[in-house]
Amino acid sequence: MTNGGRISRRTVLRGAGALVALPFLEAMLPRSTATAKAEVPRRMAFLYVPIGAHMANWTPKEEGADYELTPTLESLAPFQKDVLVLSGLACDKARPNGDGAGDHARAGGAWLTGCQPRKTAGANFQAGASVDQMAANRLGDQTRLPSVELGIERYRGTGNCDSGYSCVYEHTVAWRSPTSPLPTEVNPKLVFERLFSARPNDPDRVKRNELRASVLDTVLEDARGLEKQLGGADKEKLDQYLSCVRELELRIARAEKLPPVQPPEGTVKPQIVPADYQEHCRLMCDLLVLAFQTDVTRIGTFMLAREGSDIQYRTLGISEGHHECTHHRGKKELIEKVCKINKFHVEQFAYLVGKLNAIPEGDGTLLDSCMIAYGSGIEDGSMHSHTSLPMLLAGKGGGSLKTGRHLRYPKETPVTNLWLAMLDRMGARTEKLGDSTGILEGLS
Amino acid sequence: MTPRHLLVAAIAMASILSCFAASRGLDAPPAPPAPGKDAPAPAFTKDLVPFLKTHCYTCHGNGKNRGELTLDKFNDEAAIQKNPKVWETVLQRVRNGEMPPKEKPRPTAAEIDSALKSLDAVLAKVDCTGTRNAGRVTLHRLNRAEYNNTIRDLVGVDFKPAADFTNDDVGYGFDNIGDVLSLSPLLLEKYLAAAESVLDQTIVIADTPKPTKNRLGGIRFSRGAGESRQGLGSVLFAKGDLFAESFCEEGEYVIRVEAFGLPVGDEPVRATVKVGDTTKEFEIKATQAEPASLELNVNLKAQTNRVTVSFLNPFTDPKIEDKAKKDRLLVVRGIVVDGPYNAPPPKLPESHRRLMAHKADLEPREAARAIVERFATRALRRPVKAAEVERFLKLYDKSEKSGERFEYRVRLAVCCVLVSPHFLFRVELDPPDAKAGTAYPINEYELASRLSYFFWSSMPDDELFALAAKGELRKDLEAQVKRMLKDLKSSAFVQNFAGQWLTLRKLANVNPDPKVFPNFDEDLRAAMYRETELFFDVILREDRSILDFLDADFSFVNERLAKHYGIEGVKGKEFRRVKLPDNRGGILTQASILTLTSNSTRTAPVKRGKWVLDQVLNTPPPPPPPDVPNLPLDKELTGSLRQVMEQHRVNPLCASCHQRMDPIGFAFENFDAIGAWREKDGKFAIDASGVLPDGKAFNGPAELKAILKDKKDLFSRCLAEKLLTYALGRGLEHYDRCAVDKVLVALDKNDYRFSTLLVETVKSEPFQMRTATGKKP
Repeated sequence: MTNGGRISRRTVLRGAGALVALPFLEAMLPRSTATAKAEVPRRMAFLYVPIGAHMANWTPKEEGADYELTPTLESLAPFQKDVLVLSGLACDKARPNGDGAGDHARAGGAWLTGCQPRKTAGANFQAGASVDQMAANRLGDQTRLPSVELGIERYRGTGNCDSGYSCVYEHTVAWRSPTSPLPTEVNPKLVFERLFSARPNDPDRVKRNELRASVLDTVLEDARGLEKQLGGADKEKLDQYLSCVRELELRIARAEKLPPVQPPEGTVKPQIVPADYQEHCRLMCDLLVLAFQTDVTRIGTFMLAREGSDIQYRTLGISEGHHECTHHRGKKELIEKVCKINKFHVEQFAYLVGKLNAIPEGDGTLLDSCMIAYGSGIEDGSMHSHTSLPMLLAGKGGGSLKTGRHLRYPKETPVTNLWLAMLDRMGARTEKLGDSTGILEGLS
Repeated sequence: MTPRHLLVAAIAMASILSCFAASRGLDAPPAPPAPGKDAPAPAFTKDLVPFLKTHCYTCHGNGKNRGELTLDKFNDEAAIQKNPKVWETVLQRVRNGEMPPKEKPRPTAAEIDSALKSLDAVLAKVDCTGTRNAGRVTLHRLNRAEYNNTIRDLVGVDFKPAADFTNDDVGYGFDNIGDVLSLSPLLLEKYLAAAESVLDQTIVIADTPKPTKNRLGGIRFSRGAGESRQGLGSVLFAKGDLFAESFCEEGEYVIRVEAFGLPVGDEPVRATVKVGDTTKEFEIKATQAEPASLELNVNLKAQTNRVTVSFLNPFTDPKIEDKAKKDRLLVVRGIVVDGPYNAPPPKLPESHRRLMAHKADLEPREAARAIVERFATRALRRPVKAAEVERFLKLYDKSEKSGERFEYRVRLAVCCVLVSPHFLFRVELDPPDAKAGTAYPINEYELASRLSYFFWSSMPDDELFALAAKGELRKDLEAQVKRMLKDLKSSAFVQNFAGQWLTLRKLANVNPDPKVFPNFDEDLRAAMYRETELFFDVILREDRSILDFLDADFSFVNERLAKHYGIEGVKGKEFRRVKLPDNRGGILTQASILTLTSNSTRTAPVKRGKWVLDQVLNTPPPPPPPDVPNLPLDKELTGSLRQVMEQHRVNPLCASCHQRMDPIGFAFENFDAIGAWREKDGKFAIDASGVLPDGKAFNGPAELKAILKDKKDLFSRCLAEKLLTYALGRGLEHYDRCAVDKVLVALDKNDYRFSTLLVETVKSEPFQMRTATGKKP
């Protein structure tokens, strides 16, 4: 799990500590906000948890503002006013719809896309463009990175992941296009280097960027020559290459306009992948906060575990894997374990919300400008249902969300309607996303 | 046991889809022997048509076209064979219990089995005599292992630059599937950075060091010999030394010690200057007003060198009253290291010399072209066109204009090669005259790459390239396969193929509960992994029968693993070959497999059974139906694990599949969740007996293995299919069946030798050929 030399747990914690206890300085404000205070940018993130939740312990009884947090959601108490609990949203495209088993793979592939992932172990896999990437596509040129994709699990398994579906559907929720999934980065050090450049203050930066642009020019020409000789699936693969080259060229051009952002003073670059889940998870949350705070990007996804994950949460006293627990067959002991895991994941979300809320920005906090969605493409793992997903939304979306409520939507309201509502608030209004039927109402 | 019985056993076990999708399963595989030779002709009209009439035509026939599917228009076998895709889907849906839909009357299990058996037999009759589809491997991006190895073999240094790359996705059980290997902007950026960093380290930009005059700081004294005095310098007053150190490049140096003496008594101040083995003595008459320069000429090696000045004749005149003036002193004002002169040119790494080699008398531009052409030919794994080389050299020209030095300019051109799609992807092109839809033999360079990525997960070597250039690789195939397997690089085949076929890589993620298994630790995990790798390796290297995978009576252990197995007399960390006790043999009883198919606190017979069906027989059970109802909990399940599971199986929905998985798993119940032998599970005695769905009974792993070994046709087909999938980097299609059949015939004739399997796979049409798309420029 480590890379490089051995670093004691204590050092790492200190590293994480430096990330979490950031002093606020006006100078740290992204330039756009420092110069034009009225223009605090909005940010969106999507946190994915696998295998749904035990809903009896999740869904609040009351609706509206005056609701009592359920045991699973307890850790949100300090932020209850800043969070929406959304019940009744469905992920229809995660259902078989004639494709048989494979609810985990479909849930991962459908959650942000609203599209039925094609059932294939490899050839011609396809889902849809995901909401974060639709936003990144429209708004990505305003920041150094269009979006970040974070994860925890580096899957080393083999074989088919879920009933004839390629593993790709379980490993990411972010899709640039229906055939271009974006892998997650799980190493905090590499995320940090991506946000703030591996060599900050590099005097040769401009020169290197120029050279990189020239290299890309050359290979682009190379690829165009090749493209003419290809057909079918080969051509699609090469198109993916071409579009990546173009994306990188754009990024380099943007880097000229938007030079690297310095991490706030006192920030320590993480050096290893922590072995402890919670430590790892919080470090990734810290990095997401940093990315938003320094305005390196405004869009992110974070998979707290891959869909169908079988992580053993030993620190919670659970020796069975997560997936194993969810097939509890009504056994009380296992249900309790599922609830413990659900609660634990929500605590990580609460940690992120707390961090965002602790950083002043403009007249409020960083959280005020954010829309942080948290949820799963599965409702209840034991039933493999997708009807009323566990869904939370934190942050005020720059004043566009009336938080502090539990809302219940009519049956079969697509979760993609929520994504449309978020896109709209980001300034990337879109009329249709997968199975959406319209912008979700009642949020403001 | 009659052959008939075996067949029935195989039929019952082979209940479900393989990687051939539906194109086989229920019936014994047709090769060998040829389809239908021993088995009676499938009663297509007798078994299949009545089933369709009763259960399918209501929606998909009789004028109805639900889901745009009409089945009654297929009225004979030939019609079905012409549309295998449609019928494979039908087969799959019925098998998975998705059709007929829940609200319709359910056919009995026997009805389903018999209908599917005949459908499968119809689909299995692929015509292998006519022209065949050789399939197409999709443009294949190098995966992480392939990228690392290719860079290693290309530049000669094992950097492993892919360590920080994003994960490769997996399809059809392997991570080298062209269809699944995608590219993201993030990964492309990493390719770019990797190319830069590899080249930074392989093409060295270094000058012959130029001489400098370096005045040394940090002068120190041997104990009690002297001190530094303000306004004077470093003063020696007693017998002893002063010294300073400096790192020097190799070369000739002049060492200058600026010094003077404060004489007392009748002798002049005497001193030596020493560097390395060279010492020179000086008599110092110079005075403070005009210090002397004590010069020493030395040849130094590239290392930290020490300059030592020793005071030879300290003296104190007792007659002098003034304390400050009674001692003879040697004063050093400074030490200057001047050099290196005539330094040898910098030592270049081997990688640099090889990459940058060119004829001596070429103009720089010509030299660059020679270098880039040679590099690109190897990197792109084929001869390159002059225009391609010129394109790579564009950046060379551009940077020449901005005054960059030669090595740097070449580096840029080579960087373009390493980011080119021709390098990052394994490109195979249809020849211009290929007719759409027809198969053609891939060219010899493409063949060289297929071979090298199959056995080495890396680029072809010089010998493969040379044979391809002469067009003689195809002729020499068998010898080349043998040569490649002897090469150390073939350990990549063990790691990547065996690691994925046997799902060995999962062992890294398994975490037995330390409370239940305090014996489990990282040493044991590593030993388990190593055992299976070594076992696979020896079957490969000794060209043994692939059936040894199922029941070889030997394996490899070190002390740790021997103890775990209860084998005595093995000491130390080294692995050695041992004869196994009677209760073990073959992969199925290796601790690695037994552990990775267990839960963290207990064994999981279902997982073990499923593993055998998936990896050994390639007859995976259907996935659980999407909406399994929870069991009523009014009575708590009690008893041994077996009893609990048998209570579960009361549910007929679960029973049909679990009857296939559970008995196989229970055969291994004497092995606990980390693969150690046990007689009891808690307070319950182990019952390792079972009955397969076909009624075949067994007790314990040895008897089950005997049954499995009798299913050698299924096992060898399983291995052949997985091997071909890995070799090609694509999922198999129904038309690949002929190729697999042919491999199996040869295998049967050659005592199931591993080499036959490998050579025949390499000779097979899907490996040798490709079907043109017909999309022409």
